[in-house]
Amino acid sequence: MFPTMSLSPGLMSPYPWLKDLKPEERGLYLIHLLVTCANHVASGSLENANIALDQMSHLASPDGDTMQRIASYFSEALADRILRTWPGVYKAFRSTRISVVSEETLVRKMFFEFLPFMKVAFIISNQAIIEAMEGEKMVHVIDLNASEPAQWCALIRDLSARPEGPPYLRITGVHQQKEVLEKMAQILTQEAEKLDLPFQFNPVVSKLENLDIEKLRVKTGEALAVSSIMQLHTLLAPNNDFSKRSPFAPPMKSIGVNLQRIAQMNQNTLGELFEKDIVNGYSPSNDSTSSMPSPSIDSFLSALWGLSPKVMVVTEQDSDHNGKNLMERLSEALYFYAALFDCLESALPRGSLERLKMEKMMLGEEIKNIIACEGVERKERHEKLEKWSQRFELAGFGNVPLSYYAMLQAKRLLQSFNCDGYRIKEENGCVVICWQDRPLFSVSAWRYRR
Amino acid sequence: MNDSTVSGDSSSGNQTAPPKSTAKKKRNLPGMPDPDAEVIALSPKTLLATNRFVCEICKKGFQRDQNLQLHRRGHNLPWKLRQRSSKDVKKRVYVCPEPSCVHHDPSRALGDLTGIKKHFCRKHGEKKWKCDKCSKKYAVQSDCKAHSKICGTREYKCDCGTLFSRRDSFITHRAFCDALAEESAKAQTAVAPPSPDEDKNGEAVATASSPPAAAATPPPPLAPPSTAVVSSVLPVQNPELPESPNPNPTTKQNLSDIPSVTNLTASCSSSCSSSSKGSSSSNVFASLFASSTSSGSFHSPTTTGFADLFRAISRPDCTPDVLPSSSSEPVSLCLATNQGSSIFGTAGQERRQYAPAPQPALSATALLQKAAQMGSAASNASLLRGLGIVSTSSAPNGPSGQQLETDGVSLAAGLGLGLACDGGSGLKELMLGTPSLFGPKHTTLDLLGLGMAASGGSTGVGLSALMTSVNGGIDVAPPFGGGEYGSKDMGRDS
Repeated sequence: MFPTMSLSPGLMSPYPWLKDLKPEERGLYLIHLLVTCANHVASGSLENANIALDQMSHLASPDGDTMQRIASYFSEALADRILRTWPGVYKAFRSTRISVVSEETLVRKMFFEFLPFMKVAFIISNQAIIEAMEGEKMVHVIDLNASEPAQWCALIRDLSARPEGPPYLRITGVHQQKEVLEKMAQILTQEAEKLDLPFQFNPVVSKLENLDIEKLRVKTGEALAVSSIMQLHTLLAPNNDFSKRSPFAPPMKSIGVNLQRIAQMNQNTLGELFEKDIVNGYSPSNDSTSSMPSPSIDSFLSALWGLSPKVMVVTEQDSDHNGKNLMERLSEALYFYAALFDCLESALPRGSLERLKMEKMMLGEEIKNIIACEGVERKERHEKLEKWSQRFELAGFGNVPLSYYAMLQAKRLLQSFNCDGYRIKEENGCVVICWQDRPLFSVSAWRYRR
Repeated sequence: MNDSTVSGDSSSGNQTAPPKSTAKKKRNLPGMPDPDAEVIALSPKTLLATNRFVCEICKKGFQRDQNLQLHRRGHNLPWKLRQRSSKDVKKRVYVCPEPSCVHHDPSRALGDLTGIKKHFCRKHGEKKWKCDKCSKKYAVQSDCKAHSKICGTREYKCDCGTLFSRRDSFITHRAFCDALAEESAKAQTAVAPPSPDEDKNGEAVATASSPPAAAATPPPPLAPPSTAVVSSVLPVQNPELPESPNPNPTTKQNLSDIPSVTNLTASCSSSCSSSSKGSSSSNVFASLFASSTSSGSFHSPTTTGFADLFRAISRPDCTPDVLPSSSSEPVSLCLATNQGSSIFGTAGQERRQYAPAPQPALSATALLQKAAQMGSAASNASLLRGLGIVSTSSAPNGPSGQQLETDGVSLAAGLGLGLACDGGSGLKELMLGTPSLFGPKHTTLDLLGLGMAASGGSTGVGLSALMTSVNGGIDVAPPFGGGEYGSKDMGRDS
């Protein structure tokens, strides 16, 4: 009577009854196991964590239903975290790992194609830029992660159709990989030529955290727009290397490093120290959950402010994955990624390779980073829009409410995705893209304010 | 966004027809311009020009002189608003400058300036506006916009491959189609042998009847042999259908219709390529409407969201005569609207490109919320029991409970998670590890709503009801935190 379900291998499992769970029950049980396991990891009971993981292995699966998939990536993340307590083993385990750049690029492209978030972000960002640049003859746009040309192709098209005529457009793209920038330059230059728009692309090959503002070559008097899509949160990580003079010249704040409490370490030490005490060192911090001053982001924003941009459009994940506490992060991440996995479930069939890749190489990696990493390594430090707004305002930026037209275009795009799970809402002049009721991404615009 | 001015060619001129029109404004019949009207022939340049009125200061363009004048005020320039001379209101009609065009003749002139502009662009202009979703090009921006609105909206696609432009019809079909898929896994029982007649009727039966609000509307302009729609709340509308000619919305009548309908659809489908689907329809209807055809648990090789929903809410081992009211919505939607006869013919594809209006209970988001609800005020043992993982040796009511029980004890021990049958350690502690570890923090508990544990009692009845409905045959421990709910008394302590 019970429908057969595809379960992960584990036919000879010691828990035969697990097979008989209905999907819903299985899902609930997986959640239970995840929380339990994380709890054990956080408290150092690795043996119990191991049991929970073992149980999960019979239920979770990267090609099952959404909950099974989520559980498989979360349990991988927890396992990763546990393994880091043995740095030697961990390093050996990962030493032969190769990351294929082209695959990563492909996955990003898929994310752009199959899910609407990037497109919505582009539409809104571009609209904010166009509005801010009304009347400007010389426009300079800085892209803090220049990987997807579509955004700027659209901008080029829109700008060239301006009633007042096209401006002279410069786009500076920042990216770690030279090839990506070269490809981008080619595509954009072509597009601009087609439309007779005076255009110039400047590549800057650099990591964001090491970015030299001078390299951006912002000229006085030109109208500057900055676009950041899911980048700034990486700067919330503690700065890697204080011996090297950081381009943002952060003030060195020593916050009483306690090696036992890795979780609050803001100043960094060598990487191994972070990996060492992962499990044992976690006591929830007594500090407030508000983020401690983080050199990278503050000085970066400061530097940007110094360029007096006319508009800075920021897209970020709208969820708090930067808690000091593992359980906090796990809980928030569960909700957030559950929504994203649901999106994918509604967009692509379960057998889809693209979906699998996106889940594994993008979402799975983010989850791993959030759960398993600490300190410098943990880059996916997503925070809620409200926190970002506070940061920007502290740094001297004023909010530019996004226009109704931008929202309208975004809504239209969402409609075209034929899935009524997507929602869009306005929040204090910013736009939040949701799945059902769960906010996922926020887009906001800011300007230099004296 | 702006239209760019395209320079045209040829001359411009006004021709005035001799007779003056009457003062009273009246609309002419379409295609028949007012014989007294003034015929205006504008040049292509004029017709294509947008924003002809340009401000000399800032070069901003306007479509109307009035707007320009108003704008000039902003520059502190002298402006002048010309009043509309109401004295001689000439009715104006416009001809198309293109000589080969049918509207070039004054007798076929168009009465509307905007109309002639659009016409000229559409027929004789170049298509500058492109839909950004598909590759369709338009000469008139408003056309393009209007298309963009529906572009892609045509693309609700069901597993079976059918396309829809309307969301409601898609949802309706989808539910039905899934049900078909479900049933296809079952043995094909009670399927009448197909006959051409029945086949035809079956097809004819499949008429679209849109959601209740539109019950009175005729079948949508889809292919005639289109839809199989049966609803407990919707009348079956098909004049061809011999069984139920009158759209009487009474359930009873529909119910009586259903069996025959089902048989027909069943037979129809079995005659089609995807025969498995056919039987499924019969069983779906049967189980939905308590008709005489065989019923059983929904069973599907392809685990789709809707299938899971059915499974989750229906009891697995009995005939789901009446689905819980909460699911009546989806049930009534479970009647498909399908464009073509492909409803039975298309093989179910794995591709899922839909999002049913009610979020299926098995979406991860929904599961998390459910877990959160369950977690609030749940004791350890109860949760496990609720999940069918019984840690005590008590006898459950459902059959499945028994199955799960066998290993319950050893399992609990095997878990080694401190979930021993004592039930003393609450879920709270489980989740927390040791309370001391997390101090007064409650945020971590919020995942499972444990932060609200204090007020857990208030959600008692509803919660257990939820659990009951959710877990179907599996026995659910009613008392969370100790006998507070007791709606399903299992006669033992938690």
